[in-house]
Amino acid sequence: LSGNASPMSLSRTRRLFIGGIAAAAVLAAPLVIPGIFSSQFLPHAFCYTGDARLISAHVISDALIWLSYVAIAGTLVYLVRQLKKEMPFQWMFIAFGVFIIACGFTHFMEIVTLWKPVYWLSAYLKIITALASVMTALALPPLVPKIREMAKTSLRSREVQNELAASNRELEAFSYSVSHDLRAPLRAINGFARAVLEDGAQQLDEQSKADLLRVTAAAKRMGELIDDLLKLSRTARSEMVREPVDLTCMAQEIAAQLKATGPERDTSFTIAPGLTTVGDRGLLQVALENLLGNAWKFTGKAANAKIELGVEQQDGHSAFFVRDNGAGFDMQYATKLFAPFQRMHDDDSFPGTGIGLATVQRIIRRHGGSIWAKAAVDRGATFYFAL
Amino acid sequence: VEVNQKTILLVEDNPDDAELTLRALKKSKILNDVIVAHDGAEAIDLLVPSDGKQGLDAALVLLDLKLPRMDGIEVLRRLRANERTRLLPVIILTTSREQEDLVNSYCSGCNSYIRKPVDFVEFMTAVQQIGLYWLMLNEAPI
Repeated sequence: LSGNASPMSLSRTRRLFIGGIAAAAVLAAPLVIPGIFSSQFLPHAFCYTGDARLISAHVISDALIWLSYVAIAGTLVYLVRQLKKEMPFQWMFIAFGVFIIACGFTHFMEIVTLWKPVYWLSAYLKIITALASVMTALALPPLVPKIREMAKTSLRSREVQNELAASNRELEAFSYSVSHDLRAPLRAINGFARAVLEDGAQQLDEQSKADLLRVTAAAKRMGELIDDLLKLSRTARSEMVREPVDLTCMAQEIAAQLKATGPERDTSFTIAPGLTTVGDRGLLQVALENLLGNAWKFTGKAANAKIELGVEQQDGHSAFFVRDNGAGFDMQYATKLFAPFQRMHDDDSFPGTGIGLATVQRIIRRHGGSIWAKAAVDRGATFYFAL
Repeated sequence: VEVNQKTILLVEDNPDDAELTLRALKKSKILNDVIVAHDGAEAIDLLVPSDGKQGLDAALVLLDLKLPRMDGIEVLRRLRANERTRLLPVIILTTSREQEDLVNSYCSGCNSYIRKPVDFVEFMTAVQQIGLYWLMLNEAPI
């Protein structure tokens, strides 16, 4: 054995060694043991003095034990086959199976030898059983610390799950009260400012009216921010259902909706055919709506606007992309791009709350994927996402 | 078009929201009497009094969900359980857009669910449409 062999390969070597000795013993035994099928002995039933009740008690019990052992081994084999990947210590279960079947055969031989005194064959099978038993007995103790570690880990992960569920419930209650309680004062600010504007139209000068309009607009804006924040939190807590999703079809529908909002615009959509993935349909819809919606918004002032959805090789992996030739942004701010409420443009040029890309990133991350962007000012932006 | 002249019951605990709703109704030229109940229990006392008195004969109930003492869903359930008010048009007028609230409201038998917009102009439009639809277009059983 080499000095730097891992514990895994060490135990594998030991297992091979024990297995080899066992196999050699099994093969060599018939050569050593004379007349394995010889039966010049008294059958076992003779010892029981032919007592029918005693014999049937032995036969029935041994038959039941044998059948049960075979059934248990069968269940183990089925379990290992079903849980191929999740099952730890597969070989241990197989060793158990062999051990149990061997035990079963010793009981089977008990029945045979009642009438057919093949005691050497019976002894031979018992030797095999003994070897299987010893191997299993030797292999089991080293597993104890590993199993204990696994039990501890699974206990800890259950604790973490409970904590997570509790904090999700809290978040749920929090967003509910945000959605309800924070909006009520905004309605009052907006509504009563509007009331002053209407009722006091005669007394107010132009400056005051303009100021009051700013108050109403600010309250309305904050209402939108709260709504978007809620949308973001909803994408984080909604349940995920993974299924095949046709992104091409989804993007075509979104493009049609966007075009309907600005029929006067000359914007071409190029959507690659056959783009499919597996993910949560609702969440991916929100992600695509945001990415294509952004592309639509930031090409609003571009002549010859082009928006493209496709798939490309990026660093050896295929990634979907949404590309536009619109306003783009300065790559030195790219790190801020996906943070909530971060904006790359002022509100007069391109209105928005800065929550869209944060939502998209959260959705892509929930799918175990990643999102990144390449852009230049006035030369468009490309958003890549891999799921 | 015949206009339903009966009283409107507004169930709203927030005085600002109550005031704004009254203002929006007035501005929308909805001239029906409006009674304001400040929580769910008060609304139930008015509509289905337990002491055998005659309950309020309302054209419409505008019901908030989050109310002190008895919440909107409970009010709705009690109205639907009572022979006299089981068909009374009830419109949920609230802030929440949570799916749970929507589903609970419709399951409990609301006739409509409207989310109060922050912007008063939008709110006015909503109130106008409620009045037009429920007091003029809609045929309610007597």
